[in-house]
Amino acid sequence: MRALHEKNLRTFFVDVIRWNLRGGIGLQLFRLVLLGFMGLGVYAYSHQARYGLSVTGMNDIVSWGFYISNFTFLVGVAAAAVMLILPAYVFHDPDFHRVVIIGEGVAVGALVMCLTFIMADLGGPLQAWHLIPGIGLFNFPSSILAWDVLVLNGYLLLNGLVPAYILYSHYKGRHADEKKYRPFVFLSIFWAFTIHMVTAFLYQGLPARPFWNNPLMGPRFLASAFAAGPALITLILAVIHSSTTYKIDRSVFNKLRLIIVISAIINLIMLFSEIFKEFYFPTHHSSSAVYLFFGMDGHNSLVPWIWTSVCVNLLATLVLAFNPGKNNPKVLLPACFFLFVAIWMEKGIGLIVPGLIPSPLGEVVDYLPTWVELGVTLGILALGITVVTWLIRAALIIEQDYSGL
Amino acid sequence: MVKTLLVGHVMTRICKFISMIALFFAFFVAHADASQKSFLDEIKGADATFDNRSVPVTKQVTEESVLAKEPYQGGSFRVLARKKMIGRYKCSSCHTEKPTTVNRGLELTHGDVYLTHGRGEQALSCIDCHRDEERDYLEDKKGRKIDFDHSYQLCGQCHFRQKRDWLGGAHGKRAENWAGDRVIFNCTTCHNPHSPRFEKRFPATYSVPLD
Amino acid sequence: MSEKKNHPKNDNPLDFLSGESNRRSFIKGLSFAAAAGSAALTAGCIPSADAATTEEMKLRWQEFFKEHYRLMTQEEKDGTVARLERLAKLQKGLDVQMSSQSPLEGVLYGYAFNITRCEGFMECVTACVEENNLDRKTNTQYIRIFEMEPGQLDPGTGDGQYYHEVPVDNKFYMGTQCFHCEKAPCIKACPTKATWREPDGIVVVDYDWCIGCRYCQAACPYYGRRFNWGQAEIPKDEITTRQHYLGNRLRPKGKMEKCTFCIQRTRKGRLPACVEACPTGARVFGNLLDPDSEIRYVLKHKKVFRMKEELGTDPKFWYFID
Repeated sequence: MRALHEKNLRTFFVDVIRWNLRGGIGLQLFRLVLLGFMGLGVYAYSHQARYGLSVTGMNDIVSWGFYISNFTFLVGVAAAAVMLILPAYVFHDPDFHRVVIIGEGVAVGALVMCLTFIMADLGGPLQAWHLIPGIGLFNFPSSILAWDVLVLNGYLLLNGLVPAYILYSHYKGRHADEKKYRPFVFLSIFWAFTIHMVTAFLYQGLPARPFWNNPLMGPRFLASAFAAGPALITLILAVIHSSTTYKIDRSVFNKLRLIIVISAIINLIMLFSEIFKEFYFPTHHSSSAVYLFFGMDGHNSLVPWIWTSVCVNLLATLVLAFNPGKNNPKVLLPACFFLFVAIWMEKGIGLIVPGLIPSPLGEVVDYLPTWVELGVTLGILALGITVVTWLIRAALIIEQDYSGL
Repeated sequence: MVKTLLVGHVMTRICKFISMIALFFAFFVAHADASQKSFLDEIKGADATFDNRSVPVTKQVTEESVLAKEPYQGGSFRVLARKKMIGRYKCSSCHTEKPTTVNRGLELTHGDVYLTHGRGEQALSCIDCHRDEERDYLEDKKGRKIDFDHSYQLCGQCHFRQKRDWLGGAHGKRAENWAGDRVIFNCTTCHNPHSPRFEKRFPATYSVPLD
Repeated sequence: MSEKKNHPKNDNPLDFLSGESNRRSFIKGLSFAAAAGSAALTAGCIPSADAATTEEMKLRWQEFFKEHYRLMTQEEKDGTVARLERLAKLQKGLDVQMSSQSPLEGVLYGYAFNITRCEGFMECVTACVEENNLDRKTNTQYIRIFEMEPGQLDPGTGDGQYYHEVPVDNKFYMGTQCFHCEKAPCIKACPTKATWREPDGIVVVDYDWCIGCRYCQAACPYYGRRFNWGQAEIPKDEITTRQHYLGNRLRPKGKMEKCTFCIQRTRKGRLPACVEACPTGARVFGNLLDPDSEIRYVLKHKKVFRMKEELGTDPKFWYFID
């Protein structure tokens, strides 16, 4: 570690890069695998750039597919950082204060993935500069997509700059002035709710799609995000606790479990409410739900998908709620993992694709992602994990050094 | 003291944020009643005559047309001429007082005309429409002489609903342009007067399944 | 994590270039090589400019940075039209006449479809495909015709993919296309205002401004929009060369397109291709602001209805029964 008087902004960046290029053999192999996947993503995207989006499984009926599904889910994961910030700053929980920086790192990584998914999904990505207000033409406030662009980038700035300021202060051995950043932290709490509600409104505001056009989309997104996000953060914290010297207290895991359970139960209640509305007296508007849960006209590719998701969701929620083994990580961590996967299935493909099927004129098709979509998705996931690893590694090194001072 | 200042600072920020949200809500709510209004009110109020000739029409109707004998709601209009389309007009070249001998007798004695106009009791025969004394003209049930170019006057005697719609524009077709002088197809441009029903046929194309 | 304690104080991050090879530096080198390779691949995947002339590159450059069509002055519109005509000549050897004609005064286009008269011949579909230079490879069709069972007016209950002798007894035929709604949800949804309603009522797309996000396609309740998933392929001799900037010009891939009421024809007083092609006269088109027009006669005297009226989109396309 260099001497305190030698540190400045340039050395900050140099040190961050240096820390992330060094490490044990396990870490280096991990990085190599991620780089490999990113390369695969680039190769798959090159196909898409050359031939157009026809190489994906999307068509005029299912015009949004795997990319937008993952985008939707990951906005939730990004918003879920608020579930660490809230206890740390509003309730002044000291254990959570220690792990807030990790949550913000995950949020930044998830947001980077979201924005990359959007760019990968665009048919004319080179024209994306048309979105910049002032230079292009921005349809604000009519278009919810315009709102989404604003709030996502704003949240990225908030969640990037505040931890950057804190880390840089700690890097320089200084105490970070809480008066300076506390308002922004509170802003980011509200903003987290906003990004996910606005993303939900993207779908909720379309009268053409009765599967999405219900008032429960926004709250449902929040509930599922606050179940899946903290589940992921639990897993990441467990990895950090076991593979680094940055130790995390058991109480953090216990409190996170509570947050996850409450959100997952609310999510299930909302799911039940939606199922009741669709199936108690099915109308033509329920045809999307019928397609999803029971298949339609011989097309039933999503039926096993959604039933697996709902059952696993229910099981994982029960395990986390009843807590057999009394906070035994061998029980809770797999439950968190399965809950995360189940919510990904239901909020990703299980939400976007059925909303578009049947088409507005009643035609039913099936959707299957192609190798291009899977490759690009893997590449973007690897990119996100790389970003998260870089941020968390730098943050933990700085924090440990700072607390050791 | 510092703590209350901080709380006050945070509270002002929260209030600003909530007022921003309230403003946007007001914006949306104000537009909610717009869904009850329709542009149809504007259309119904649009009673000023539109000068069709003000539109610079680039493709003129090349087929011959005649001025219709009846007006429509916009005044006079033109109908595509028919006589030029009939191969062996004038009929009086054969149909004279005296008997005539012709080569290709079967064909020239209208053996190729397949007459299925009307069903059962109401099936029409040739002289129901054609004027017996002057074969160059048609004749309606009141004995009035009707020109081939103005056959709508004859068709309209039975098919009066379609004729009314045709005059107005709900039946039939315009030739080439929606603007400029109104030139429309006459009845026989689409309907063969001897077997007016459209025949069954294969569609021109099909739609591919999207999976 | 532990190795940081062993670092000498003045460690230079670029030491590895001169230092001796060991396992760590080998892996580091490999990862750099992989990163460089990926960068090269990314550079390669940008659409190649194979053997383009400088003139073509200059035109494409200017086209890339141009403004939104609505914000252009008439000279700028003429300029972009000239560039596009020249590009068509350079890239495909086509002589196109592109127009940037503005809407006519006092005109609001309306459309009516007679579901008693439609016999399912689909001449309208072929005429539209030819007139609007639609992709032949994917069989893109703006117009869809449904064979319907009497009793229901929902196209979902009909068959949109029939191919047999028509008309079938006891069935009727109904066509859909973009309905050019007055309160179009697609216009509200577009984040870059690439689609808008022209003063004469036609909902148009500026293909060069569209970013291809497909939000408008999700918002349309009538399946009116089509996306260019790949580059459209049209046989050269079938390309319609009389084009409009907002209408049937050749679209790049990754852009949204739709029926434009044949803007290249209707602004010159001609009927859209579908209306002209219909053998039974089931389609009526005209100026809604002209009280003597055919469309106004239909609205006044016939039992008209619109599709999905409850959504409040106010389409300018009516169906009627004789």
